Amino acid sequence: MNNLLKYLSIYKAFFKASFAADIEYRLNFVFLIIAEFVWYSTQLILFEVLYRHTNVIGDWNLQQMRVFIFLALFVDSIYMILWDQNFLAFNDNVRKGTLDLLLMKPIDSMFMLSSQRISISHIPCFFITAAGCIWSLAQLPDFNWLKLLWLIFLVPAGLSVIFCGRFALNCTAILFTRADFLQYVWFSLFRLGLRPDAIYSGFLRIILIFVVPFAMVASIPARILLEPTQYWMIAWGIVLPFILVTLLKKYWRYCLSQYSSASS
Amino acid sequence: MRTSFAAFWRRNLALANLGIVTNLEYRFNFIIDAFIQPILTVGIEVLLWLAIFKTAEHAQIGGFNRESYLAYAVWAPFLGRITISWMYESMMAEEVASGSINTILSRPISFFEYYLSQMIGYKLITTLFSMMVPVAVSIYFKLPIFYERLPITLLLVTYYLVLVHIMSFLVSILGFYLTRVRSFTILKNLTLMLLSGELVPIDLMPKSLEKLFLFLPFSSGVYIPLAYLSGRGDFELLKTGFFNVTWAIAVLGLFSIIFWKRGVRQYTGTGA
Repeated sequence: MNNLLKYLSIYKAFFKASFAADIEYRLNFVFLIIAEFVWYSTQLILFEVLYRHTNVIGDWNLQQMRVFIFLALFVDSIYMILWDQNFLAFNDNVRKGTLDLLLMKPIDSMFMLSSQRISISHIPCFFITAAGCIWSLAQLPDFNWLKLLWLIFLVPAGLSVIFCGRFALNCTAILFTRADFLQYVWFSLFRLGLRPDAIYSGFLRIILIFVVPFAMVASIPARILLEPTQYWMIAWGIVLPFILVTLLKKYWRYCLSQYSSASS
Repeated sequence: MRTSFAAFWRRNLALANLGIVTNLEYRFNFIIDAFIQPILTVGIEVLLWLAIFKTAEHAQIGGFNRESYLAYAVWAPFLGRITISWMYESMMAEEVASGSINTILSRPISFFEYYLSQMIGYKLITTLFSMMVPVAVSIYFKLPIFYERLPITLLLVTYYLVLVHIMSFLVSILGFYLTRVRSFTILKNLTLMLLSGELVPIDLMPKSLEKLFLFLPFSSGVYIPLAYLSGRGDFELLKTGFFNVTWAIAVLGLFSIIFWKRGVRQYTGTGA
């Protein structure tokens, strides 16, 4: 319990520092918020335009697809607030040797590396996408609102996929000297999660559910909300974060064992 | 005059070479940039369009068939990647913000030229390699691509790159007036992604939006060259693209000159 309180107080300090840093350049801050809205709008516009010319894509109509998109953007906004800035700085930390300083701190190194910076400019997007989710669900006839409770398990599961995937790719930067390319790979892979799993078929779909589980980001949660409940999906959503975090910890320890400081 | 042109050519060729060498230095990085990322992006977009046509009620959408959209899905990410500037714009903005621009100001070369040549070098080498992906996919799936139109299409794209660079130059100049300009780069590039037609073909948009997007010069980055290349558009459309880029270069170029002169005049370089 004491440990938890300690981490919460550290996180509170990180939040205050991030808030002060983001607000310092106000015009930049406002433009960042606008840029995020533009990015999220482009994802919505894509499907809104496509549905002008077809009634169904994969298994879903426009109303159902809106639920999926808002859910994907909602999960993405949480990820962006909590972790993205830290992961963007990861490669520089390795290359410049500042990783040494972070590893020396008397707290968990994974926490330190992933939570130092919080993106305040994404907070408005969090509320807008949450409202978008509720709005899109309200458009569905006879939606059972109790199903929303499943998101308590499924949203963290989706977040664990993004967190562990990005962290693992970043860890690889320790093995290579320069690893900017890993960011490119990540952006491409993440697109898999921003498209409904129904567009993938057969073996590829199985891979996206079980091996590189980007379907857990929004496709599976959307299916749970929109279709008759498939309990194996919920069970997988509960088990998946534990598997991913365990594997990530092992991989992190391995990468650290290969780490040779760049600051010396 | 001949001597000065020769000096100009040699100088810029050296800078273009620098752009190529710098990006080839880390080969694994380059392979991912030129091959893996395009393959992943193209794969996902193709799957999306296949799914759309699988469940579509008609064999055509907006007057075009499945192969036409697959051609669009294959080539749009390729053109989109050529016509966007993240890396060099960030470098330019950083030079101004950090004051390291002093080293360029003291050389017999302009800041604009210095980065334009490097960017062209980088884009050239990336284009040469990454174009193999859409060409191979187009040949394999027999997509409707008019290969004889490729040179003039790439000419428009290169011309558009000059406009892209002017916009990057403008954003980096803002560093003379503002402390942080990173958000301008993000906002501009995301907006361009939508306006260029990379995300979705402009001819699928509502008519009023389609007219607006085609009036703006940014459709010359992806939609117009691709429409001409895949037969969705004719030569008139391509000419419109060249015309739009020309007026945009004139207008934004004028702004660049004004802001650059004002910025440099009030800038105080204190770098050691």
